[in-house]
Formats: sequence, C-alpha cells, structure tokens
Amino acid sequence: MFRNNYDNDSVTFSPQGRIFQVEYASEAVKQGSVVVGIVSKTHAILVVLKRNAEELSSYQKKIIAIDEHLGIALAGLASDARVLSNFMRSQCSASRLTFGRAIPLSRIVSSISGRAQSNTQNYGRRPYGVGLLIVGVDDSGPHLFEFQPSGMTQEMIACAIGARSQMARTYLERNVERFANCSREELVKHGLQALKESLTQDKELAIENTSVGIVGIGNSLKGSKIEVFKLYDGIEVKQWIDLVSDKSNISEAVESMEVDS
Amino acid sequence: MTSIGTGYDLTNSVFSPDGRNFQVEYAVKAVENGGTSIGIKCKDGVVLAVEKIITSKLLKPGANNRIATVDRHIGTVSSGLIPDGRHFEQRAREEASSWRQIYKSPISTADLANRMGQYLQLYTLYSSVRPFGITAIIAGWDSESEIPVDSEVGSGPEIGSGGKAEGKTYGGPGLFMIEPSGSYWGYYGAATGKGRQTAKAELEKLDLASGTLSLLDGVNEAAKIIYLAHADNKDKEFELEMTWISSLNGPTKGRHEHVPKDILDEAERLAKGALDGEDDDDDSKSEDVKMEG
Repeated sequence: MFRNNYDNDSVTFSPQGRIFQVEYASEAVKQGSVVVGIVSKTHAILVVLKRNAEELSSYQKKIIAIDEHLGIALAGLASDARVLSNFMRSQCSASRLTFGRAIPLSRIVSSISGRAQSNTQNYGRRPYGVGLLIVGVDDSGPHLFEFQPSGMTQEMIACAIGARSQMARTYLERNVERFANCSREELVKHGLQALKESLTQDKELAIENTSVGIVGIGNSLKGSKIEVFKLYDGIEVKQWIDLVSDKSNISEAVESMEVDS
Repeated sequence: MTSIGTGYDLTNSVFSPDGRNFQVEYAVKAVENGGTSIGIKCKDGVVLAVEKIITSKLLKPGANNRIATVDRHIGTVSSGLIPDGRHFEQRAREEASSWRQIYKSPISTADLANRMGQYLQLYTLYSSVRPFGITAIIAGWDSESEIPVDSEVGSGPEIGSGGKAEGKTYGGPGLFMIEPSGSYWGYYGAATGKGRQTAKAELEKLDLASGTLSLLDGVNEAAKIIYLAHADNKDKEFELEMTWISSLNGPTKGRHEHVPKDILDEAERLAKGALDGEDDDDDSKSEDVKMEG
C-alpha cells in the first residue's frame, strides 16, 4: 500500500511543498465541537457547543477568560489550549505590569502565532492540535481573530471552527453584512443561529451544552471603559436559547424552509 | 521528479549524489503556491505590492496586512507560508534593532538583506529544522547624508588614490529578494509567488535599469502588475496592499508607509482600466469578426 514518507515530522516538506504534520494537526481541530465568534462595532462574542463524554459526565469547558478585555474559545485538544491560554494570561499580566495597560489584541495574537510557527519549523516538538477564536477589546475597538495550528492567524468579522462548522460558516456568510451594526443581543442571537445550523439532527441547544462569552466597548453613560469579558453558562444562557428555539420563532422557521427549497 | 523514493529528499541539509538539497527545492514549491508579491525600485523611492487572496467572505476587509515595516525606513513582503513570513519579519526587526544599538545608525537595506540571507541559510544546515517556505522581498531607503568613517574609500583627499569620486552620492533606494536557500540578489524589479512569471515579464517592459521611473509612476505600475498577475487566478477574489518608501524630500520622507488611500484608489482605477482596455480590444476584435461574418 502507498505510504506517505513525508508525514513523520513537522520539519519535512513534501515534494509539493506541503507539511503533512501541520495538516494533520488541523484535522484535530475538526474533531472538536463547533465554536462561533462574531464581532460588531461595539461587541465581540463567542458562542460554543459543549460536549460530554457520556451521559453522567460533565460538559467540557470551551471558553476561557484570559484577561478583563479578552477571552478565547477552543476547538481541538483542550490541553494544548490550556498551555496557550496560560501563556496568554502571563503575557497580559506582563503588559499590565511593565506598561500599565491592557495588551492590544494584535500583539497577543502574534505572540501565540509565533509560538505555533516555531513548532512547525523545529524538530522535536509537534504542532498545537487546537484552533482558537480570540475575542477582545482594545483601543481600536472590538476584534475577533482566528488561530490555526500552522501559526496562521487572521482577523475576521465572523468565524466558526470545529466539527460540522461549514454549516455555521455558510449562515455567517449569508449574514455577514448585518453584523457591524448589531446590538449585543442581536449578535448573540446570530451566534446561536449559526451554531444551530451545525447541529446534528438528534441534538438541540440546551443550557447544559451552550456557553456564551461577551466582551464589548464600555458604556460611557456608566463611565465604564469596557464591558469586561464575561462567560455565560448554565441558566444564564436560557434567555438566549429561548430566543432562537423553533417553537418561539416561527418566522425564522419559515425563512429557513424557503432557503431549503 | 526523479528524487522521490531515493531517500535523499526526506531530510533537510542532506546532499543528493548530484549536490542538491531537495528539502530546499520543496520549500520553493510552497512559495510558488503563495499570492504574488512584487517590488519596484524607482528613481526616488521603492514600492512594494502584494496580491492578498481573499480566502473567505468572513475575513475583515483591509485588515491582515501582509507587508511589514521592519525599521522606519525598511519594509518587507513575502510569498509562501504566511506564518514563516511572520517569523522572517520578526527576525528582521531584531537584526535592524541590534544594528541600531551597536552602530547608532539605521541598518542599510543591503546589510539587512545580508543578515537575513545568512539567517535563512542557517535553516538549510541542520536536519533538526526545515527551510523557510517563503521568498521575501526587502525594500528600503538609505540616507544619502554622508557620515565619514576613518579610512573609508572615498572619504580621502579630493585628488589621488582613495579620492572622492566626483558627483558620487551614497544611499538611495534598495531592493533585494531572498530565497529559501538563503541566496539573495539586488533587483531593479522583483517578483515572487504564483503570478511571478507574468509579473516578471511586465517588470522587464519597464526599463527599470535606466533609473528614470518616478515613484508615483512606480505605484501605478505596481498596481497594474498585481492586477495582471491575478488574471491567471481569476476565480478567487483579492485585495491589493501597497507600501512605498521615498527619498527624504519625497512624500514619505524616507519612511516606509502604506500608500495613502487616494493614491492607491487612483492606481487601482488605472489598473482596472488597463485590464478592461485589453478585454475591450479583444471584444472589439471579436465584434469585428461577427460583423464581417
């Protein structure tokens, strides 16, 4: 049988100039459950689908708060995300200690992309098997970045990664023009809608399996600089799930029927 | 290629019986799949331009810059593996900053190209690393003001050996292209990535060696070349990103900056016009045929 000689490590190019170990690492991202991120002029949100190993077990955490102004969602190897999130936390506190300010999003993103890149160029380490969505707010407003095991990072308007995420991305692409002017609540609704698109038939969004992360620019009336990154779990997400459930929203159902035909 | 299956192409730094390093050649393949980037050296400055392929509608327009500022007077762009390009930029910044710390002056474009050539060559020496999957273009403007150094050729008496050459100026624009092997050359016009063949053919038409092209014309030509190079890859959308560096008394005052929006828009309008013009010619020809028929 054909055997690939060029996939044993991440320091070998194939004759086509590909690095298979890196490509395999991005397969690990596709095994993870889906995560969605969207950004507007005022907010950046994460919406994730959590999985449990078995009926009696808990659901795996998918959103990690990094600092007041930023958080991440992961798809793939959770332990790799933990390594990266610990590093991001220390970078954030280093910035606050030495410069007395929150680290700009582009800076922290490029610092993890550099780490991931070195894992694809030096022997003895493997690429990270995790994809991340990074949301946060800095002086230039709210941001959403996608991170891949290759070290590729891109700033996005909206993004979905993980298993069956293509369906969610299609939803996001159809609505991409709307996001910039969305309110905080509308943004979460779009996020959940996108998440729903990628569910298998037997699954439904519930308070157990859904998490939402929100960060935004501050309300000047209240004198707050930013709306601090907050993770919404369990009963706190019920309000939003009810908003997008099929029963309560007939007009949406009609719309999706039209698309299907 | 006959190299496959011989075992000499599985590890970096290994010579094949005919003296080649196949892993470096495979790295070049990665470059050939990347978006086109070009550099043009003009009379009074340098232009960098890149074809940024839009892989998704969800990407933020205008973000995700591919051209980097390495020092205030030097910019770089690369085609190939984008994360490798970021690594290259990072290193170039370190080199430029350490040069400043030691010599108390900005690094010249040629010296930076040399340092980065050495750095890339290091990644062809060991089996524990892989070569860079990029070809990078470095552009810069070196100050023309003379800072005499002891026993420097040309700083001596006005006549005799070591004398000052009449009308000789120092500094000016610099343009270099570095390959995964670490080899590099100076260029009048440089192109790499998927559309390099088309881009090279267009660059050759410009007669850059005569040193008559102005920076502003260079900007327009660069836009035109990127649009033309993209014509082979039409199914994908793209964004044009362009930067420039002028002389001290030019528009950027010796600094590496993005081309201002109004000038960029005008260059893109002209580029599209030039492309449509070619199409129109084709159309009118085919119409003629029809009319004749």
